Amino acid sequence: MERIVEVVPEAGLHARPASKLVKTVNGFDADVSVGRAEDDEDDLVRADSMLAVTGLNVEHGESVRLVAEGPDAEAALDAIEDLLMSPVEGDGGKDEDGEDPHGGPE
Amino acid sequence: MTGVTTLAGIGSTPRSGVGVARWYRPEANLTLPNRPDPSAVDPEVQRERFASAREAAREGIRRARDRAAERAGEEEAAVFDAHEAFLDDPGLVDDVESAIDDGTLAEHAVRDRFDEAVERFERMDGRMAERADDLRDVCDRLLRALLDAPTATDLASLPAGTVLLAERLTPSETADLDPETVAGIATVAGGRTSHAAIIARSLSIPAVVGVGEALAEIADGTEVLVDGEAGEIVVDPDESQRAAALNDDASVVPEPVSTADGRPIEVAANVGSAAELSPARDRGADGIGLFRTEFLFLDRESPPDEEEQYEAVVAALEAFPNDRVVVRTLDVGGDKRVPYLDLPEEPNPFLGRRGIRLSLEEHADLFERQLRALLRAAAHGGNEAAAGDLAVMFPMVSRIEEVEAALDAVESVAADLADEGVEHAVPELGAMVETPAAAFLADALANRLDFLSVGTNDLAGYVMVADRENDGVADYHDPLHPAVLRAIDRTTRGAEGTHAWVGMCGEMAGDPALTELLVGLGLEELSMSAVTVPAVKTRVREVDSAAARDLAEEALACETRGEVREVVGLDG
Repeated sequence: MERIVEVVPEAGLHARPASKLVKTVNGFDADVSVGRAEDDEDDLVRADSMLAVTGLNVEHGESVRLVAEGPDAEAALDAIEDLLMSPVEGDGGKDEDGEDPHGGPE
Repeated sequence: MTGVTTLAGIGSTPRSGVGVARWYRPEANLTLPNRPDPSAVDPEVQRERFASAREAAREGIRRARDRAAERAGEEEAAVFDAHEAFLDDPGLVDDVESAIDDGTLAEHAVRDRFDEAVERFERMDGRMAERADDLRDVCDRLLRALLDAPTATDLASLPAGTVLLAERLTPSETADLDPETVAGIATVAGGRTSHAAIIARSLSIPAVVGVGEALAEIADGTEVLVDGEAGEIVVDPDESQRAAALNDDASVVPEPVSTADGRPIEVAANVGSAAELSPARDRGADGIGLFRTEFLFLDRESPPDEEEQYEAVVAALEAFPNDRVVVRTLDVGGDKRVPYLDLPEEPNPFLGRRGIRLSLEEHADLFERQLRALLRAAAHGGNEAAAGDLAVMFPMVSRIEEVEAALDAVESVAADLADEGVEHAVPELGAMVETPAAAFLADALANRLDFLSVGTNDLAGYVMVADRENDGVADYHDPLHPAVLRAIDRTTRGAEGTHAWVGMCGEMAGDPALTELLVGLGLEELSMSAVTVPAVKTRVREVDSAAARDLAEEALACETRGEVREVVGLDG
């Protein structure tokens, strides 16, 4: 089972989105691999490995190919798609003047 | 070193500090034993050692996560989730275990495998290289557990006035630092966007990173100035350099201020995380004019419980024992998304479900829980001499019905708490004026509430119909447009003759060039980023309120922003 998903979070497939991806994959009975959309199946890496996932160096706006096998394959892909399509907080932290970028205007 | 030396690096926290240099060399006591002959290694024993080191590391990571959440906020704490994911990386764990099975000591297996991974990251470009710090951090934890080596220096209790020098600092190490005692940080390596730099920034610790090998020339005990603004380290700074760099701290006015003719103006700070409380106090803020509660809700899987919210508010009250702390109830929606709150997808979220609108409908349960925490905290303020007074305000108000519903909610929470026999009090209640509707209805709001607080960023955006994130309309998004000034004037005049006081929180309040105008417009409280508190306090003391009123009248009579800028003395 395969799916192409765009990576929406500002941080790309790094720090937080990456650790969330790994956590999500671990919650399902499925073998999931991930790589850039244009990569061959042979170049995909295991999605339950933080090292492998961050090593892809996928940035915000790129698309990834996800391949899943196992009883929960479809559910796993759905959950990952949800995660990658939602603009969760990036890892940019505070901006220069120390204002909280999420605290909003006031 | 003789004479003055200046080293250039990358300024990462734009503040300055002077202190005594102290090198942090954690690697010093991480010397690995010699490699034994593989036949002398019992893989079973080594596997067990590795397993218990992983558990020790996991505990450490979780402790660091909690500490970072408390000091710097959830945002900064999340990096430790990534650390835990590295610790559990199946590829890494398999590699280490198979090296062990080949007859390698656990510590060598860990260091070899992590070194390979770190090297792989460092070969990639900047951002990935910075993430290598995260791997090093995890590796250090494992090695310390395996070698039974505590950290070289207790970073959490450095002597006051320490400038910490290091090859690099991991996020865990940075989160350990106490912003009260550490005067600054300088590192040989590292970039502005490394997690460690981000954490230092949110702790307001002056920091310069990426200074290079020259930093090694500085000996322990040397007096050092860390200029996070210029990105410089000055060795043995002279008096004028110290004064110039610390200029912003020199003018702190700890006591409340009044205008030259004696009208008191409260100058408070806007705060968005627990870690910002003591920097705000250090800058002489007279309390908190805007305590954003969103930080309690972001970057987590579920909303905070009543107790956590209660404790966060009590901590703020205790940080300002003689002052007022204005807490804004949850303000999400618009550009502020919280995944688990399941906010609706809207074509135009700034004109949709946000602020009080959500609290009264979709999130009524969260609102009730927050009010319970706030009413309990208000009682804490009333009973303890060492706690300030609580005030609570509602965001994005545009209809009187909303205020009435919110007041009903407060009343019903108070009744529930009374039934349960839980100690509570009803704090001062107010509304933010950030919609044109609220400005037009200021009199009706002021009749029902204890105070109004003008949120100039949103108000300017909604009056001028301009998104402040959109550079194409940046000229529109300016509170000095006469239409915005008149909306502010409408608000203060609306409250005249009522018991309600009117304050302002927003960028405008923190600009000392506008202080006289704001006093003239009738604002009694100004709340801003803590960093501008000293300058505004100094300015308030120079203002004459009658002259300020004349200035405001003149500005209100203007028809263009250019005219307003001329009147207030900014270049047209």
